[in-house]
Amino acid sequence: MNGWAGTILKVDLTSGRIWRETLPAEILHAYLGGRGLGVRLMRGFHSLDPFAPEIPLIFAAGPLCGTSAPTSARLAVVSRSPLTGTICDCPVGGRFAWSMKSAGVDALFIIGASSRPVVLRVAGDSAELVPADTLWGKTIPETFDSLADAGSVAAIGPAGENGVLFASIMMDGGDGGGRGGLGAVMGYKRLKAVVVNGARTVPIADHERLENACQDVMRLFRASPVIFGELGIAEYGTPALVDLIRQRRMVPTENFRRTYFAGSCNYSGPAIRREYQPQRDGCYGCPIQCLKRTPLGEQLPEYDAISHFGALNAISDLSSIVRATTICNELGLDAISAGATLSAWGEGRGRFLTADELPGLLADIGYRRGDGELLSLGSRRVAEQLGTPGLSMSVKSLELPAYDPRGAYGMALAYCTSNRGGCHLRAYPLSHEILRKPVATDRFSFSGKARIIKIAEDSNAAVDSLMACTFAFLGATLEEYAEILSAVTGMEYSPQTLRETGERIYLTERFYNCDNGFTVADDHLPERFYSEPGSSGDGIEVPAIDRARFDEELQKYYRIRGLTSEGTFPYPGFLGRQP
Amino acid sequence: MMDQISKYTNKLVADHSALRDRIAFAAQDDTLLTTGEPERARLAGDVLGRLDALALVAARPALPFAEFLVRRISSGESCIIPRDTETRTFLHDIPFLRRSDYEAGGPELLARLLGNRKGVIVEGVGIVAVGAVTVEQAYINYSSVFHAAFVKYLQDLLADGFLIPGEPAAFDDFRNGWLRPLTADGLVFRTGPLVEPAAILSEVATVGRYTVERGLVDSFFGNISCRSDDTIYISQTAASLDELDGCIDPVPFAPTSTTGITASSELAAHRRIYETGDARVILHGHPKFSVVMSMQCDREECGITDCWRDCPYVRYLGGTPVVAGEIGAGGLAKRVPPVIGESGRALVYGHGVFTTGRRDFAEAFRAMVEVENWCRNEYFRRLAERTKRQAPPA
Repeated sequence: MNGWAGTILKVDLTSGRIWRETLPAEILHAYLGGRGLGVRLMRGFHSLDPFAPEIPLIFAAGPLCGTSAPTSARLAVVSRSPLTGTICDCPVGGRFAWSMKSAGVDALFIIGASSRPVVLRVAGDSAELVPADTLWGKTIPETFDSLADAGSVAAIGPAGENGVLFASIMMDGGDGGGRGGLGAVMGYKRLKAVVVNGARTVPIADHERLENACQDVMRLFRASPVIFGELGIAEYGTPALVDLIRQRRMVPTENFRRTYFAGSCNYSGPAIRREYQPQRDGCYGCPIQCLKRTPLGEQLPEYDAISHFGALNAISDLSSIVRATTICNELGLDAISAGATLSAWGEGRGRFLTADELPGLLADIGYRRGDGELLSLGSRRVAEQLGTPGLSMSVKSLELPAYDPRGAYGMALAYCTSNRGGCHLRAYPLSHEILRKPVATDRFSFSGKARIIKIAEDSNAAVDSLMACTFAFLGATLEEYAEILSAVTGMEYSPQTLRETGERIYLTERFYNCDNGFTVADDHLPERFYSEPGSSGDGIEVPAIDRARFDEELQKYYRIRGLTSEGTFPYPGFLGRQP
Repeated sequence: MMDQISKYTNKLVADHSALRDRIAFAAQDDTLLTTGEPERARLAGDVLGRLDALALVAARPALPFAEFLVRRISSGESCIIPRDTETRTFLHDIPFLRRSDYEAGGPELLARLLGNRKGVIVEGVGIVAVGAVTVEQAYINYSSVFHAAFVKYLQDLLADGFLIPGEPAAFDDFRNGWLRPLTADGLVFRTGPLVEPAAILSEVATVGRYTVERGLVDSFFGNISCRSDDTIYISQTAASLDELDGCIDPVPFAPTSTTGITASSELAAHRRIYETGDARVILHGHPKFSVVMSMQCDREECGITDCWRDCPYVRYLGGTPVVAGEIGAGGLAKRVPPVIGESGRALVYGHGVFTTGRRDFAEAFRAMVEVENWCRNEYFRRLAERTKRQAPPA
């Protein structure tokens, strides 16, 4: 088999049993890997409580990982989210995926719960569970330092150990699986970390064809102003978006009460460059290197984190924002949910945080103490307990990222149809509504958006299953990656067949959610967006979203998807018809 | 969507890339709609219904070059591979269907090809192009295929002459009918230097429109900028040159803002041209004869194969320097600024023309007209030399 290892490593933490199984070729072909493979492997487990011992926690790489395909050294962590109750996948970077593939496995499938803290160590063909009592309670950097000699590390921090509902799983040398609280799932299993290492190479069907296709991708990266442009993310990281989103007047500010924050110029890409002289970093082998670190190695915040600790909480002090994201990275917290939960809490009690209060409260969340006990539940539960449920700016309990939906109607729709809750990456309408790729669309119009969002969701489900980076598709397209996949595997793929695969993956996720009771009632934005306008100015009007028009487009979306007007499946046997 | 279809139907006619009564579109939201010439509209709907895409255009090009390319190619081939930069970068290659294959495979086969590429040439039908997310995208892809076929056909004629019956007559029709005189006469330009932002934005949009109206470029291809003391006003990426209102980014010279992340991919080239010379405005377009002629190299026994990227030499066409360099961060930004200073004009291998104005757009526009006219005349001169040695095709 080319591309895939064809093997899955299964671990039962309850019994301590570890074994390898062959992954059927037809399953790999039908679901590719990463998100798609993880979602397929969740079949039959998808209705389990996220904290039930039997729930699987899956780490799945893609068929391109281990090859020279640009941006493909990533993996998906998949399970059911304790924050949202939805199926949840988190694409993550770093070195871990590459090392896992080097150990000869496409995926780790971890069930059960250990009676004591453990580390799963995979070294080539061998694997073992190692007691980790001394690591329990350690921060992410401390855990990485302790385990780095054994290979690449995925670990939880105190937040995951303590069951914070938006705890992340962090990868060494990269970012973390932040959204949805899968770190808490790992914590309930008492699995502190996974360490992987190996020396296998990935067989490639056609090296010359792969090289040519990679050159096509790199040519498109160089032609993309967002990727390799002098103001793009390779230069400034994702904070390159700070100025643009402010100019477009769609910066979520003070818990989405406003959409413009003048103070954001204090933490723009150029401001960060002036203050920190950042160095490039990123996922293993990635040519873009959009992560930025200080010369001392401290990871600098990405766009969503910087905006949510900034504008969303009305804080403009850069050093405080950097410190806040560092604490999230140390404790293993999703910075988006953390910032949004603090903001909802701030509005609910009538006062947003000061910059000085941030570090202490974030630590309290990670250790679930004081006010952090309540805040660790995420914004929906916090707002409900405060008696003001409308203050949670979330969809399906997942806090919205740093793009106000009143400034981009495709984004508004995409937040609601995303299977893991309010997420911008599932359809990534930012690409055409703001960044003009592949072409610009009218951000203040719903016209055509139902079809556009559906197509993008399918495409991105395929991308997340190849485990290529979303940002790569601000330059390249599925055409080039289908060619890469064909070259690597020796099987012929096209953009159309990849989109069909993506559709299968998306609908499988949707089916799981519907099976767990999700309906049209969960596909809506918080009321604020329908009733309160954004911050108009500079010739840009930012009205409230027309609810009737939104509903009309949502119903179009359902029809395009073949769903009922309730957003559910018209027939019960969907899964039985899928590979 | 009907308003969009109407808009881009008119554009196909206005830019002389399709025959008015041979244009059809299909588009789908929650329902599929088709419009235009009935036979092609039926085909467009049949194909789009099989694709995960929003729009599709099927039209007969106003020139038969794409069809000639198919007929000139040997029977074993299934795609054409133009060498210009746009095609190399964004399309890679262009599949085609011969009449017999299309009749056998029908919409199913065409949909399969369009599931893999943005546009397809179908013998007897024309160019069929798909837009994944908008009607405009289908138009752009049609336009890209038309442009690529034009450039490749003219290149192939220089290399091989006329090969099949009907070509000479069709080429005469093209030269004497389709092709329009290229001139800046009658256009009104603001006298520079332009300083006020409002005046700059207005003039950039106006001149962008001129380039399209005068047939100097297709609407999607090119970019344009004007500098003030501390800011470059430059067209946005993926902006049509004839619709630049609201699509011009002010980019500070100093690194104080990244708002211009949506600026043209050639921002770096524009910036360096301004930094290294006395230009106040820059025009960049892909006029077709300039693109063709930029790839005609007389150097013998040269070991360079990827000329568009690796050629280190500066050649001259009618006094205009020609350099290699790929789009964006691909080298063009390094190679154009050193050569454009003196003449205010430069050609990029397989890509297009940069011209500058030291005062305003009048100079830059006229320079681009001159470059394209020189390349046009030189092309016909070389083709006449090539074909006078050749007997008419049987």
